[in-house]
Amino acid sequence: MWGSRESKDSRDSAECTLAGLLVDARSTGGEPFAFLSRRRWLRLALGAGGVALSGAGGLWLLRGRAPAVEGLRVLSAHQYRTLDAIARTVLPAGGVFETGAAELDLARAFDGYLADEPAFVVGDLSSALSLVEFGPLLFDGKPRTFSRCTPEERLAHWQAWRSSALLLRRQVTIAFQKFLCLVFYDDPRVWPSIGYPGPSLEALQR
Amino acid sequence: MSDDVVDLSATAPPAQLTTEYCIIGSGPAGATAARLLAERGRDVVLLEEGGDFTGRALTQRDGAMYDQLYMDRGGRTTEDMSIAVLQGRALGGGAVINASDVVPIPPAVLEHWSRRFGIPGLSEAELAPHARAALEDLRANPIREDQLNLANRLLREGAQKLGLRGEVMDHNRQGCIGLGTCLIGCPMNAKQSPRLVAIPAALAAGARVFVRARVERVTGAQREDKTVVCRALDAKGYHAGARFELRAKTVIVAASAVGSAHLLLQSGIGNPHVGRNLMLQPQLPITAIFEREVDAFRGIPQAYAVTEHETADAERGLWGFRIEAIMGTPGIVSTLLPWIGAEGKARMSRYRHIAASLLLVPDEPSGEIRRGPGGRPIVRYTQRDNHRARLREAIKVATRIYLAAGAREVVVPCHPPLLLRSEADLSSADALDFAPATVPLLSAHQQGTVRFSTSRSQGGADPDGQVWGTKRVYVFDSSGYPSSASSHTMAPIITTARALTARLS
Repeated sequence: MWGSRESKDSRDSAECTLAGLLVDARSTGGEPFAFLSRRRWLRLALGAGGVALSGAGGLWLLRGRAPAVEGLRVLSAHQYRTLDAIARTVLPAGGVFETGAAELDLARAFDGYLADEPAFVVGDLSSALSLVEFGPLLFDGKPRTFSRCTPEERLAHWQAWRSSALLLRRQVTIAFQKFLCLVFYDDPRVWPSIGYPGPSLEALQR
Repeated sequence: MSDDVVDLSATAPPAQLTTEYCIIGSGPAGATAARLLAERGRDVVLLEEGGDFTGRALTQRDGAMYDQLYMDRGGRTTEDMSIAVLQGRALGGGAVINASDVVPIPPAVLEHWSRRFGIPGLSEAELAPHARAALEDLRANPIREDQLNLANRLLREGAQKLGLRGEVMDHNRQGCIGLGTCLIGCPMNAKQSPRLVAIPAALAAGARVFVRARVERVTGAQREDKTVVCRALDAKGYHAGARFELRAKTVIVAASAVGSAHLLLQSGIGNPHVGRNLMLQPQLPITAIFEREVDAFRGIPQAYAVTEHETADAERGLWGFRIEAIMGTPGIVSTLLPWIGAEGKARMSRYRHIAASLLLVPDEPSGEIRRGPGGRPIVRYTQRDNHRARLREAIKVATRIYLAAGAREVVVPCHPPLLLRSEADLSSADALDFAPATVPLLSAHQQGTVRFSTSRSQGGADPDGQVWGTKRVYVFDSSGYPSSASSHTMAPIITTARALTARLS
């Protein structure tokens, strides 16, 4: 719960390794960016991240090559890989039922969604994807990108972001998680696993 | 699609369009005004940004329907992403996707408006004929006992065990067969929304109705003839196409408390009060998990309300909180649960065991609308301490109710999730601070951004809805409300739109 966040975060010394250079929600009453638009904050964070990466010797190389993906409308192959990693983290295969995000190619669905969004939304979400990809380095000091972490590391990373003291990190998780969950559970292939019989009018007519 | 409704994604916009009355927005306010004016023999054009969806075009699927029926494809939020701002974007407006509850303006709220804000013409006696007509427009009727699904009965059972006051609400459905997907439209056309009542009547009376018509700005607000600058949209409403203009003597803006203020701001119309005093009436969804299968996704999702803690008085207006059952299709429910990964899937595999409620907490003005990028509004809102305190109390009351009804646990969707399984757990709700983007708050009843006022120094529009500083540019929707009109705004908006239209000379 949020009341215990302070003590939890104080143990997490890597919480704001880089972002702490900018603004920390804890030191500004929980609403640190009221003077900034979300977009500008994203740009600032990424700008600072880029400086750090360059200063550390071109660590953009960390992300390595991403496999080519046919048919993408907006996302680059690297962005697709990051988004696919997020989707597999939020909705992994296995567990109580087998179907997972990868089977439904939710990253491609997101690409299709972005194709009809205005440029500023695409820009925001592209920035957010970069922040996620380099998050392990920027925030935790780990020499890995998100999509190259193990599934366990990704899950821990994402959950830390979801309950982070830093508003930006929470916002980033919301931006992707809502879309991914909605599309996943709207898919008829998932419905039998959750006991949903499908749209009721169709069910009545069967 | 009715043959009488002109879809500008499929038809070239008219080169020259003139009218006496241009109404922007086809929800409860705009459709009502269009109907009444057309029936008076006036020349009316009604413009709607969304598409026209009735019957089987409403597919009961989350992805397609949130995309098509909601503003910003279902993704509109406050600037800090704390609160999902749910607004209709279809012919008929929010009434196409609301929960169909009919809750008139409490008389004490009208007394509050009179005493606190001095607004004439909106007393209980003056509004009474319009309130009655609004109920007739909606075909309002009580939800029958046999229409209460198990989730609603469980909420009532728990409340009654605790001796808490509650009520089965009135609704505007006719011929409802309990499909359960009200929030993404009714393919049975059971909802007697403006799309099915006021708009056909307006068309029959000669009004011209255009969909996929986005209004970008209004010019000449102080002149006799105004120009409404529009863009036709594509079939999905994603991309703007041909630009066209409409000339009108009178412009009635009825595009919601967000959209109306935003259009005025984009047009440079009005005084500095335009956009201020936003109320979002933020609601918190909680879920109760039962051992038995509840199947809350079938039947009327929102029928019973616990009203024990809701108050309305002349001093403060609507206050306290109410607890109302709710349920959605799997996609939207999954976005309101706090788990991800294997745990998230495990929790969703118990979808049939979930009952849910919205904790509805009326607020005071605490936000504003600003112009944003890409023609979209920025919605700024700061939650106040008294709102947080009432939410915490509402969580405790709702938990007691569900535990009394036999729930195994109640889930508050914060991070990490707060699981309440006994009275002893309730104190943990005291630690919730509802910091931005920590819980999935949502808003369905935005109000107040062009406040009615007796002086231009106190609000954005006069008591007749005319925007201060303009000549016959009006707001007729919930933008004008100085405080929360009701826990559900459809009936209030039709009521006040009727009253304001009746005054229009």
